[in-house]
Amino acid sequence: MMKDIMLGQYFPGNSPIHRMDPRMKITLTFAFIVFIFVAANFEGLALMVALMAAVLLLSGVPLGQYLKSLRAVWFIVLFTFVLNLFYGGGRTVWSWNFMRITDGGISNAVFVAVRIFSLILYSSVLTFTTSPTQLTDALERLMKPLKVLHVKVHEIAMMMTIALRFVPTLLEETDKIMNAQKARGADLESGGFTQRVKSLIPILIPLFVSSFRRAYDLAMAMECRCYHGGEGRTKMKQLHMSRLDAAAAACSALFCAGVVYCALRFPPALR
Amino acid sequence: MPVIETRDLTYRYGEGTPFCKTAVDHVSLAVEQGEFLGIIGHTGSGKSTLIQQFNGLLRPTSGQVLLNGKDIWAEPKKIRGVRFRVGMVFQYPEHQLFEETVIRDICFGPKNMGLSDGEALSRARQAARFVGLSADLLEKSPFELSGGEKRRAAIAGVIAMDPDVLILDEPTAGLDPRGRDVLLTQISDYHRERRNTVLLVSHSMEDIARVADRVLVMNDGKAAMLDRTAAVFARGRELESMGLRVPEITKILLLLRERGYPVEPALTVGDAVAELLPLLKGEGAAQ
Repeated sequence: MMKDIMLGQYFPGNSPIHRMDPRMKITLTFAFIVFIFVAANFEGLALMVALMAAVLLLSGVPLGQYLKSLRAVWFIVLFTFVLNLFYGGGRTVWSWNFMRITDGGISNAVFVAVRIFSLILYSSVLTFTTSPTQLTDALERLMKPLKVLHVKVHEIAMMMTIALRFVPTLLEETDKIMNAQKARGADLESGGFTQRVKSLIPILIPLFVSSFRRAYDLAMAMECRCYHGGEGRTKMKQLHMSRLDAAAAACSALFCAGVVYCALRFPPALR
Repeated sequence: MPVIETRDLTYRYGEGTPFCKTAVDHVSLAVEQGEFLGIIGHTGSGKSTLIQQFNGLLRPTSGQVLLNGKDIWAEPKKIRGVRFRVGMVFQYPEHQLFEETVIRDICFGPKNMGLSDGEALSRARQAARFVGLSADLLEKSPFELSGGEKRRAAIAGVIAMDPDVLILDEPTAGLDPRGRDVLLTQISDYHRERRNTVLLVSHSMEDIARVADRVLVMNDGKAAMLDRTAAVFARGRELESMGLRVPEITKILLLLRERGYPVEPALTVGDAVAELLPLLKGEGAAQ
């Protein structure tokens, strides 16, 4: 039951997007998110959507997966869509009692919905095509400048890696403990709220205990291999920027410039 | 009537996905009331999946599990009752301990059965005696116990439910030789005293040879053999082809027999001595 939960969202593959340097992917994703907001009108947004469509197709991840990632935000999108519908100027197209929908409202609602969908899809491309280890690796590298401010960049990245590494292990452990307590007649399904919370105790306590045990074991194993923090530590898998990354950056810059041009040339969409 | 019977029992993991794997494949067998059944098989042979269906933790993909002649899934809502009658001790059961004191942890099962506090307590004391936990340990926190004591406390937690069938999955894994010996003796004493059915999964052929009446060999999800212990271990070559082996002492006797000596493949050192002594004496006399 526990194993059915999808862990991370990484979708292994060998597409150009997969092969890009994770640092470049993170940087570009951030840039895209910014430029989705820079795009003030449909013309600019259309450019971002077109770029997104190209990236989605290039990534080789089944489009159904992307649709699934949108499912999580369905409600928020619907909520903002309905809200925006009633705020906006322009010609009234429909009214009932105090409610009034204008053409401006409709265009606002569509604009905001497309914005949110694009945000989610762009970040999905990142998580679908980049493995968690690559992500933390790239984050560590990108956050390096923060060392000047005495932020422990390496330690943060190491903690993230370890946390990700242990998610499946702990899920498996939970499964085992649940089975062991069920075999002793623990009733996890029925009863009221307090009863159910109480029934979690026999599962949570062993889980905590074993987490601590694992943490001690891991710390010991790391020390045995002379781990002493990030100082002077080299990487087995070096990150390399390639021509592919340069091409992606150039292409993205072109689109972003287009968005800025549209923002200056055409009137803003939100009214 | 057999206490546990399976009919064409099949279990598939991840059915309907590309990762579908058949872990138990059309297994039909019968476990007799009061017997001590050993279960062996290499890692991934389907032992664990099989035994988890005996107490309804896993629901068969197809086929049936009968407990005293009744399909345990006839009334899915009453599956908890099955778990009280088929007690299951998982691998490393000490990881399930959670209560403030050992005795309260052992009481967890009996209390879930709906027994009164007094009744649960007396059952817990009795179970603790079976596994050799002294009275002064019972009021301690389970986390203060040694590894072997924790293991025995966890096993007591299942025995306290007084199940008709007790299933133990590798109960001696990770214990020192002395701890193994003591625990195995306690389990077979328990079996003899209560006259109930015990199923023991183990990777140690010596352990199985010592305690089991019959042995079930699992291979690739199928029940490859189910026979008297001596008969199973006499098929040493077949077992080796399944990634298993026979007890060292049995292997020596099997090799002797291959060279033409008139010996039976004994399972324990004592029996082997009884087999070999006459032979040696005979040879001495011949010289």
